[in-house]
Amino acid sequence: MNRNTIILLIAFLVTASTDLFAEAPSFRRDVMPVFFRAGCNSGTCHGSARGKDGFMLSLFGYDAKGDYFRLTQELIGRRVNVAAPGESLMLKKASGQVPHTGGKRFDVESPYYQTLLKWVEAGAPDDPMNVPEPVEIKLEPDRLLFDVGAVAKPTVVTARYSDGTTRDVTKLALFNTNNPDTATVNADGVVTPGKRGDTFVFARFNRFTIGSEVIVLPKDSAIQWSNPPANNYIDELVYDRLQKLHLLPSALCDDETFVRRVYLDLAGVPPTVEQYRSFMSDANPKKREVLVDQLIASDEFAQVWTALWAESVRLMGGGYAPTGTDVKAAEAYYQWIHEQIKSNRPFNEFVAEQVTATGSNLTNGPANLYTMLVHNTRFTPKEFAANFSQLTMGIQIQCAECHNHPFDRWTMNDYYGFVSFFTGMKRKLGAEPREMYIFNDRSMQPAKHLVDDRPVPATVLGGEAAVPEMGDKRKALAEWLAAPDNPHFARNFSNRIWAHFFGRGLVEPVDDMRISNPPTNKPLLDALAKRFADSKFNLRALVRDICTSRVYQLASQPNETNAGDTRQFSRSRLRRLRADVLLDAIVVATSSERGFSYFPRGTKAIQYYPRTPGDTEGPNAGDPFFATFGRSRRGSICVCETRTESNLSQALHLLVGDTIDGRVGGGQVVPKLVAAGKSPDEIVEELFVRTLSRKPTSEERTAMRELIGDNVKDRKVYEDIFGSLLQSTEFGFNH
Amino acid sequence: MKPIIAIAISCLASPAFADEKTPVNYNDHIKPIFRQHCAKCHGDDQQKAGLNLQSFEGAIKGGSGGKAVVAGRASASLLYQAITNTDAEARMPPNQPPLPEAQVKLILAWINDGLRESATSKSLAAIRDLTFKPTASAMVKPDGPPPMPGKLPTVTLPPVNHKLPIVAMDASPWAPLVAVAGQEHVRLIDIQTKKELGVLPFPEGVPHVIRFSRDGAVLLVAGGKPVQSGKAVLFDVRSGKRLAEIGDELDAVLAADLSPDQQLVAIGGSGKIVKVYGTSDGLLKYKLTRHTDWITAIGFSPDGNRLATADRSGGLHLWEPKTGGILLTLAEHKASIPSLHWRNDSRVLATAGEDGLLIWWDVVDGWPAISKPNAHPPKRPEGVYGRLRNGVLGVSFDGNGNLLTAGRDRVVRLWTADGQTTKSFEVSEAIPVTSRISHDGRTLICGDSLGELHFWTLPGTP
Repeated sequence: MNRNTIILLIAFLVTASTDLFAEAPSFRRDVMPVFFRAGCNSGTCHGSARGKDGFMLSLFGYDAKGDYFRLTQELIGRRVNVAAPGESLMLKKASGQVPHTGGKRFDVESPYYQTLLKWVEAGAPDDPMNVPEPVEIKLEPDRLLFDVGAVAKPTVVTARYSDGTTRDVTKLALFNTNNPDTATVNADGVVTPGKRGDTFVFARFNRFTIGSEVIVLPKDSAIQWSNPPANNYIDELVYDRLQKLHLLPSALCDDETFVRRVYLDLAGVPPTVEQYRSFMSDANPKKREVLVDQLIASDEFAQVWTALWAESVRLMGGGYAPTGTDVKAAEAYYQWIHEQIKSNRPFNEFVAEQVTATGSNLTNGPANLYTMLVHNTRFTPKEFAANFSQLTMGIQIQCAECHNHPFDRWTMNDYYGFVSFFTGMKRKLGAEPREMYIFNDRSMQPAKHLVDDRPVPATVLGGEAAVPEMGDKRKALAEWLAAPDNPHFARNFSNRIWAHFFGRGLVEPVDDMRISNPPTNKPLLDALAKRFADSKFNLRALVRDICTSRVYQLASQPNETNAGDTRQFSRSRLRRLRADVLLDAIVVATSSERGFSYFPRGTKAIQYYPRTPGDTEGPNAGDPFFATFGRSRRGSICVCETRTESNLSQALHLLVGDTIDGRVGGGQVVPKLVAAGKSPDEIVEELFVRTLSRKPTSEERTAMRELIGDNVKDRKVYEDIFGSLLQSTEFGFNH
Repeated sequence: MKPIIAIAISCLASPAFADEKTPVNYNDHIKPIFRQHCAKCHGDDQQKAGLNLQSFEGAIKGGSGGKAVVAGRASASLLYQAITNTDAEARMPPNQPPLPEAQVKLILAWINDGLRESATSKSLAAIRDLTFKPTASAMVKPDGPPPMPGKLPTVTLPPVNHKLPIVAMDASPWAPLVAVAGQEHVRLIDIQTKKELGVLPFPEGVPHVIRFSRDGAVLLVAGGKPVQSGKAVLFDVRSGKRLAEIGDELDAVLAADLSPDQQLVAIGGSGKIVKVYGTSDGLLKYKLTRHTDWITAIGFSPDGNRLATADRSGGLHLWEPKTGGILLTLAEHKASIPSLHWRNDSRVLATAGEDGLLIWWDVVDGWPAISKPNAHPPKRPEGVYGRLRNGVLGVSFDGNGNLLTAGRDRVVRLWTADGQTTKSFEVSEAIPVTSRISHDGRTLICGDSLGELHFWTLPGTP
């Protein structure tokens, strides 16, 4: 460095510092951002609900007034000493001059220290009313493209304030990455690429979070785009993304894979032998579309989506009257849901009717949203609002009960405004003990803000103003929610529908949509949501688009480019069957019924919901098979209540439990095949088709023949084969 | 005929209506409430937790959890806590809306008036006579002229950006003299002329405590630098000389006092321990380790028989100062106790809390003889909801048993010995932090958070 640069640098530093403190720093605008940046008000430090070492700041600064009090007035003269500013404990601690559990946060020379010092020197003034507050932040560039090993790139965060001014807040923001393997970001916002892939880096400032997409491509990748044909917009948008990421889609799956996949997804059961044969022998080149249409129109389709909705609203039947979840109420709700799905009621109307429902839980099914979504002897508006938002919008607002959401846009105002839609909801005993009458008491006060007890009138999420104070406010909520331009509703449900067919949402988990959890393919999610809204929220239309796309029909076998892809749908994902689908699949394959306690004979697993003679407050999967295989126990609103991971007890259950053993050994499938005088080859083939919806490979045939040997009439050996097929991983998965 | 019957019935149906002549009592007012809401589980047929509220004897006896009601003290009565609990899960009666406010008030009045059984019963609460008797005062005027500072050495003070908030201040018990905290010094000011008489250097840091000895000749100054060092220093008031330095703390001393015989100095702070030192040898005599939070206030009784210590969580204990043995624990405050002060006769201790509570304690049995739950009620600005800060920061008696308090409502308030507020003064610009009454009882003094001193002279007093 030569002399001139040094002089220049000094000149720059001087101007910068004088510029910064032309006037006394403002507590909200200058001082609090330092606490944010230095981590003082984070959840593990003074931002914890009980503070740290006797000093509390509001988490990420949601309560400026309270922070000002605690800093300057709670212990007068200690944390802040206006007589000898440098003696202020706040400054001594933060700069590590005295012992501090949180260690040294910044240097005495740093601009952070200087800001705080100048503020104390000015007498630690509180701000006048109406100090400009940030209304938006920007992170630039909003997209970063790297080759593996490329040099790091800086980002800049700009805040816009309510008075129209903007300010570079890069040095006051916090940064993080969603996947440090793909890209890291340091404290100054500089992004360094890692392994190939795509992710997001985020900047947070004040109550805002914003992301920039980062794509890291393999160096010198010379991938020739394969130009696969596209059936519809889904294919186009997925391909577009794959092309950008230098991924090639796998080939289309074969007919055998397709027929099993689409039956399991749309009808909740594998194809029967006859259904398999009829599809395989169909020469129509459009036969896949035909099958999709046929299945979408089936009763089974309605059963699957009834089960999914019942599960997501935590539908259960009990015998404990004060919770309002009597079996009769549950059945009324279940039947109502089934009718709506069967008649293809526009999905927005379907949800809206539940939102505004009142009346008897026994006779008006949809009113049970207010008994089921929260299982409690009392109606709890906060819990209900949180569950409701998570279900209908995929948004988790409950963080904002105690502080502004740290990684999303939701504030405490949003939260309490939303809760206020439900503060009037009440339940009273009806004409008979099982009956609960659900109504909205309009005289009830809105929810009160935690910080200052201010009543916050009912306001939709992100709404500028409260809804008009007349009548049942839920009507306004339902109208807003069901409107085609609602920013959350269509996106949430099209994402959930997508996830049903791909084992993963475009936003994952599907019930945690937030700015810091962006979709892996935003144009696709936008298009699906638009299509859903444009079709008047026609569930079957969207499902048809998905199932007839080539993306849905891709094989699971990877190619040399996409083996590592788990987020961009370049190949089919192996999905363990849902517990209810698995049980129904066993029943279909073995032609042997399975009964359920408290349900009539002939009830399918997919039609089952937990029924108990006791109360419904705790989690309950109902049937033990469901508990083992992870069907939702409905203990909370979380989609994670439905588990599809494999574990040892599942394997043991299939091996030694009576579900398969009893059905194979006690069933009629094998005896009938043997009695019909079929050849060993024919019997083996039929067993393969029954279970795996495919014919055995030649290696499998040879192996089976060796196994059977001379015992061609011995049902025991066929039953062993049958049982093994049912226990196989292939049977338990959709692939 | 019909309307008359209706009136008669409505009269019968509202026995729980207390008129002004009948004192609130069990038979007329409380039993009907208990019957209506409690007797199903706590009655003659069933006594959950061993409690029967359907009879007066049962209510007084209490249940398996101990006494349900304490005569004269609703705040210590389990029953009252149970019906007013803000946690709906823990409140009685279970799974019901809370009792109507009017009924809660009746129960409150019944307990606090002394649990009368019937209109003619006597109150069960002990009758206390806390009137101030000047003859009982431990204050014996020392011989000779009251100590005033002579010509003190000039000291160079460190430059300050702003005045230090007056976090500590004391008035001499015999002279028109007030000592006031400043950054690294203590100012001595003549109350009559308001002139500064001199400065005592305190390079140790911020003086958080300033106390005159009982004879007015010695000044205790304690404080320090936060999370660095703390100390108590004894000054000779007349010469300004340092007599002793006590303690070597790792944090500023936040509370301290000098025993009346000047043999002991007790200090405390963020260490949660009260340390008692001998002034003659500077050695640690004993430690008091019962507190669970920072020590915020310490005071020896004027007769030297008790030591009161308070902490940031509302903990308050009385000790035997010679040995450090615990005498009583005074549980009533729910938040920090920034200040406490003894009445001259050593019979009454006043404590002020950030919870808004102001209490006159009868220290013989540790009873809150007078309790003002919202002693400094702040005015609610328009459009402001929620809890307003109503902490009481400063409390001090004068020689006649009057009490002066300073509150976060920015008001300084004067109380008589029987807990009546007679005068109040507003400090508009800042928060009044410390309050004292001059030795002659004529001048009220307050130090505020902007470092200003306020004087108010009472008319008519000798």
